[in-house]
Amino acid sequence: MPELIIRPRTLKELWKILPTISAKRKYLAGGTDLVTAANAGFDACDAWVDISGLKELQSVKETKTSVLIGAGVRIAGLEAWGAVRRWLPVLTAAIPHFASPSLRNMATVGGNAANASPCADAVCALCAERAEVILELKGKKRRLPLSALFKGPKQTGIKKDELITAFEVPKWPHTGAYLKLGPRAYFGISKAAVALAIELDGDKIKSASVALASVAPVPLMAVKTAGCITGRILSPETARAAAALVKTEVSPITDARSDADYRREMCGVLLERALLGCEERLKAEG
Amino acid sequence: MKKEITEIKAVDGYFEICLKINGLTKNLKVKNNEFLLDALRRYGYKGAKKGCDTGDCGSCAVLFNGRPALSCLIPAFSAHGAEVTTIEGVGTVQAPHPIQEAFVQAGAVQCGYCIPGMIISAKHLLDANPAPSEGKIRKYLDGNLCRCTGYVKQVEAVKLAAKKMRPD
Ligand SMILES: Cc1cc2nc3c(=O)[nH]c(=O)nc-3n(C[C@H](O)[C@H](O)[C@H](O)COP(=O)(O)OP(=O)(O)OC[C@H]3O[C@@H](n4cnc5c(N)ncnc54)[C@H](O)[C@@H]3O)c2cc1C
Repeated sequence: MPELIIRPRTLKELWKILPTISAKRKYLAGGTDLVTAANAGFDACDAWVDISGLKELQSVKETKTSVLIGAGVRIAGLEAWGAVRRWLPVLTAAIPHFASPSLRNMATVGGNAANASPCADAVCALCAERAEVILELKGKKRRLPLSALFKGPKQTGIKKDELITAFEVPKWPHTGAYLKLGPRAYFGISKAAVALAIELDGDKIKSASVALASVAPVPLMAVKTAGCITGRILSPETARAAAALVKTEVSPITDARSDADYRREMCGVLLERALLGCEERLKAEG
Repeated sequence: MKKEITEIKAVDGYFEICLKINGLTKNLKVKNNEFLLDALRRYGYKGAKKGCDTGDCGSCAVLFNGRPALSCLIPAFSAHGAEVTTIEGVGTVQAPHPIQEAFVQAGAVQCGYCIPGMIISAKHLLDANPAPSEGKIRKYLDGNLCRCTGYVKQVEAVKLAAKKMRPD
């Protein structure tokens, strides 16, 4: 771990301090990825810039048309916000699947994205909810669809020193699910996970997005599958068709956690289950 | 305590940090590559245990600014300005906390290695929720792995502790 830790209190202070320290520096948020990597001897740095004190990153805000989640919000902190529970059903469903309660008290949403693991649960859920990511570099802001941020495992389009400040999720009247298959019922990196967000008009799927984790080099948007179910009735037949198609969209690998064939098969199973779960809820609501 | 200092620099490989441990202000000299768990244990707080050292097992859990966190993943310098509660601050052998009593009475302790972390998680739950459901208890203890008991007695212990802690 480095010998110099900088803890700016505001973004203004951050941009002022950066040029004064060694270029071999990294942002430190919850530390759950950075510290484990440093511990294993990766990512040696001269300085860590601890962004956990930046007030601008710590809250959730609601506008007329969207919900803005600060990059520094901890995974466990998400549920406390009414706007998250009301407008982000997929992210809310993903929370209990994310590591353990104590780890959720440490890990941030921004770190989950910047770390760019294909298995990132909060990222996968936010992709299905059509989040955009907002980045800032020395006061200059830009935004892009969250799913477009990722270039490969641990690779993003984030520029040197660029900071993720927030995620903006449009308010759209959707329901959905987050289903994850891991080594245990809860806790652990996924073998495969499916995030489903659908907007219904009666029993017809008016709009859909499907995102998957751990089955491609990046958190994957299954665009074809989402297109295929859009306009169809939410039914077991639709669920089966979606399950068959999604298996052609993913490109899983065999690694320590699982193997490719199993993962591909499970993408179908999880998506079918997610759609059937939504159908059941719709029926129950009458 | 507020985080007032914007720069922490190691001198000869050591950071000087100031924090509250179990309600008392302490100045610690921590190595630049040291974790909070190791620093705590070096200063005599041996209740927090080193299990996996990768954030998986939960035996190192302490309350960090009021919430359970894994001290094996917290660089010690990060605790500068923080408030930390270890199992020593929850209760002692002479004056145990009701949760500690309940764990003993329910027979929830075998080798005991995971218990400090479990009690930290249970305390965070019971301080906010005096009558949690069994499902809620299981979710809160989810990150505390135990290799001896099979978890049944520990869930019972938390239920018993909840009863002891309720005013009625
Ligand atoms: C035991 C264990 C279990 C885990 N289980 C899960 C799981 O179930 N699901 C899951 O998705 N993840 C899991 N993780 C991974 C990890 O907890 C998450 O990816 C977490 O969200 C990372 O956030 P952080 O705040 O800890 O990031 P840090 O470790 O602080 O940072 C990670 C990286 O992102 C950069 N960074 C952080 N914030 C920003 C920002 N705002 N802008 C730009 N760059 C930034 C850092 O420089 C660093 O490179 C687990 C980790 C551990 C140790």
